[in-house]
Amino acid sequence: MKPKKTAGEGKGKRMDQSLLLLILIVALCIITTLVNPRFINITNLINILQQISVLGIVACGVGMLLIASEIDISVGAQVSLMGIVLANIIQKGGEIPPDAPNAWLIEWSIPIAIVVTFIMGAVLGFINGITVIKSRAASFIITLGFGSVYTGIALLVSGGGSFMLFGRFETLGRVKIFNFLPVSILFLFGVAILTYVILKYTKYGRFLYSVGGNRMAAFVSGINTNSVIMKGFIIVGILNALAALILISRVGTALATTAGAYSLDALASVVVGGVAITGGKGNALSIFLGVLLIGLVSNALVIMNINPYFRSMTIGLIIIIAVTFSGLSDKRK
Amino acid sequence: MKTTNILEAKAISKSYPGVHALESIDIELKRGEVHALVGQNGAGKSTFIEIIAGSIQPDSGRIVLDGKEYTHLNPSLSIELGIQTVHQENQLVDELTVAENIYLYDLPQTRLGFVNLPTCIEMADKLLQDDLGIEAKSSSKLSSLTFVEKKLVSIAKAFSRKAKILILDEPTASLDNSGKKVLFEIIRRYSELGLSTIYISHNLSEIFEVCTRVTTLKDGKRIGSNNVREIDMNKIVQEMIGRSSLAISYDREQVKRIKSKEKPELEIKDYYSQGVVDHVTFSVQRGEIFGLGGLVGAGRTELARLIFGLDRKDSGNLLFEGKDITPTSPYDAISKGLGYLTEDKKDSGLVLIQPIFENISMVKLAKNKKVRMLNLRQERDDTEKVANQLAIKTPSIAQKVINLSGGNQQKVVMAKWLFAESEIIIFDEPTVGVDVESKSEIFKLIDNLAREGKIIIIISSDNSELVAVCDRIGIMQFGKLVTILEGSQINEENILKNSLGMSEKG
Repeated sequence: MKPKKTAGEGKGKRMDQSLLLLILIVALCIITTLVNPRFINITNLINILQQISVLGIVACGVGMLLIASEIDISVGAQVSLMGIVLANIIQKGGEIPPDAPNAWLIEWSIPIAIVVTFIMGAVLGFINGITVIKSRAASFIITLGFGSVYTGIALLVSGGGSFMLFGRFETLGRVKIFNFLPVSILFLFGVAILTYVILKYTKYGRFLYSVGGNRMAAFVSGINTNSVIMKGFIIVGILNALAALILISRVGTALATTAGAYSLDALASVVVGGVAITGGKGNALSIFLGVLLIGLVSNALVIMNINPYFRSMTIGLIIIIAVTFSGLSDKRK
Repeated sequence: MKTTNILEAKAISKSYPGVHALESIDIELKRGEVHALVGQNGAGKSTFIEIIAGSIQPDSGRIVLDGKEYTHLNPSLSIELGIQTVHQENQLVDELTVAENIYLYDLPQTRLGFVNLPTCIEMADKLLQDDLGIEAKSSSKLSSLTFVEKKLVSIAKAFSRKAKILILDEPTASLDNSGKKVLFEIIRRYSELGLSTIYISHNLSEIFEVCTRVTTLKDGKRIGSNNVREIDMNKIVQEMIGRSSLAISYDREQVKRIKSKEKPELEIKDYYSQGVVDHVTFSVQRGEIFGLGGLVGAGRTELARLIFGLDRKDSGNLLFEGKDITPTSPYDAISKGLGYLTEDKKDSGLVLIQPIFENISMVKLAKNKKVRMLNLRQERDDTEKVANQLAIKTPSIAQKVINLSGGNQQKVVMAKWLFAESEIIIFDEPTVGVDVESKSEIFKLIDNLAREGKIIIIISSDNSELVAVCDRIGIMQFGKLVTILEGSQINEENILKNSLGMSEKG
């Protein structure tokens, strides 16, 4: 009698866009495989997932925040800055001579770095959030400004140079379970599932939709809209911290600009996935598929031996097509 | 070969889903006359002037201007034909000078194509001081002007374009006495020079002061046109009310709910917010339906927002059963059992792109601090029960609210507050945009709530509705609660007269 669909799935048209995305992804896979059969190789597929794990984790935060109709464009700068601080601590730890009185720090520098990174993520998120709420300005502009500030701090701290880990912090980014499955993929799936649960099964997730769908109605209904947005920015910061840990571990070195591209790539992924830029629409699946598509395109271009300079052009066009499509299907209503 | 009528509207009709805004209206505007248009809220005055100003196209009928016939106008054509409108809201640019504001449509330029500000200021000075007698420095920034001065500037702007027909929509709403005097002087002087004016005002005494003819509209129909000299205020009020044509088929069984000995359960004490709500005090009893009548802009919605903690107030306390429960925020109000169905359900009542059940459960979820995880199945079953109680017509409760009719959307808003077990509910214009059938249903539901012992306040601009459902009706004017009608005093005429400030006390 009544359809057994619930919560997030109630957004029927979004499912259509997810379906469309899935078709697009399959089509892309088939074409790439025809050009180069090595694409479908399990090693390559795992490689793709590993490549998108950092972007995916960042995008989950960005996507949740965008559902509440707020944009954080400073995520790339946040990840870079945290990477610098993280690598700095680990490098300093590694430079301590084994017979120094503070030699215990050699062992402890990594856990300290991890804790500091997570605290920093929460603090950066808090700074973004409180400023957006108090200034009542558009979050896009505020975080654009803070992104610049964070990059500046990262440049100052690093003096424009890089910090090296010398193989002291490889587990997160490089280790493979059974010599097969990279740990970072597990984190990606973990975060994706967490996002799914938050958006669909928690009150907080529901409030993200309400605040993004109609902020005034949410406020009149007694929802503390400021607190919802505040928490959203902090979640983004914490996920960025996790992303920084994985990224730096994988790359083994940190520059002030290491993660700069993630700001736009993450936003692009969630928008391509079908999270409406106006808020209130989208779900974990759409975020994940968006990230997957962006990751696949990058990989496919390499595999098909196409000039990598086409990447940014292709991704740009995909964003435009995706947004135009969802704009048109909204208008048809 | 000039005709005596500069404007003839012939059989103009316009309807919107569910309402006939105008039904075959004929109105003639003579050269040099000041023609007042009166009627209750929703009578069709605004629709009519929008059609003349060209911003709305009529469904049928003709507009004859200076002997030329048009089926419809558009804004630029209207202006070209000499029609100027001064809207109720200020449509000026704060950051520009007075002079630039006046000539914004065609700023004088230097040879290089820059704005020639000195010339502009000179022209504006001449217009303001010599022609209109308005004292405002045309070189000063608009933002430095007072409210009254801004209004006069927007009137001056209309005059700057050699208007043949001037439409004034509630021009005196923000004017003080001296401002009014200036305006009336201008109108009289220019009428003698041949300017024709359409004058909309809720202040009937002004009409006798400045207008020559008056046309009454009611429910989109023209009731009559008279020379002002041949009619009195009472006659106009009678025309505005007309034969009581109750728009709703619902007729509440008149129950004497109020036991006057009982002490009031909800007391609204001395609510005040400067310039908006002026020391309003009244009380409502359990099971009672208390109406708030008055003209649009009398401060009723503002009062409701203050009570609900949405806006900051200068003073005011809310007492429930003697205890002070004055809310400080919507969340606080909700946790104390208040509910507020806002006037504009699309802007502040519903999340249109969310499913029905998510809208219904929203307030309850916000109210219940302890809940963190959702029980989707139970949520759906529970909200479905409420939806069925209110007979919300939908194939599924997972349907997005945007797909529902206006009446059903309003029921979703009601369901939201009922689901949260609100005890004190304020309905702000609950039937706007709702079809006739749903209107009666909604009032039946409200009546049931009152019978269950809830405290109900209804704000409505449809006086026949207030008469039909309320036990007592407070009338507001200019932010003040001017009177409370009860028992046999409750009729449309009393509501209207008090709303207009024409009550004969004593």
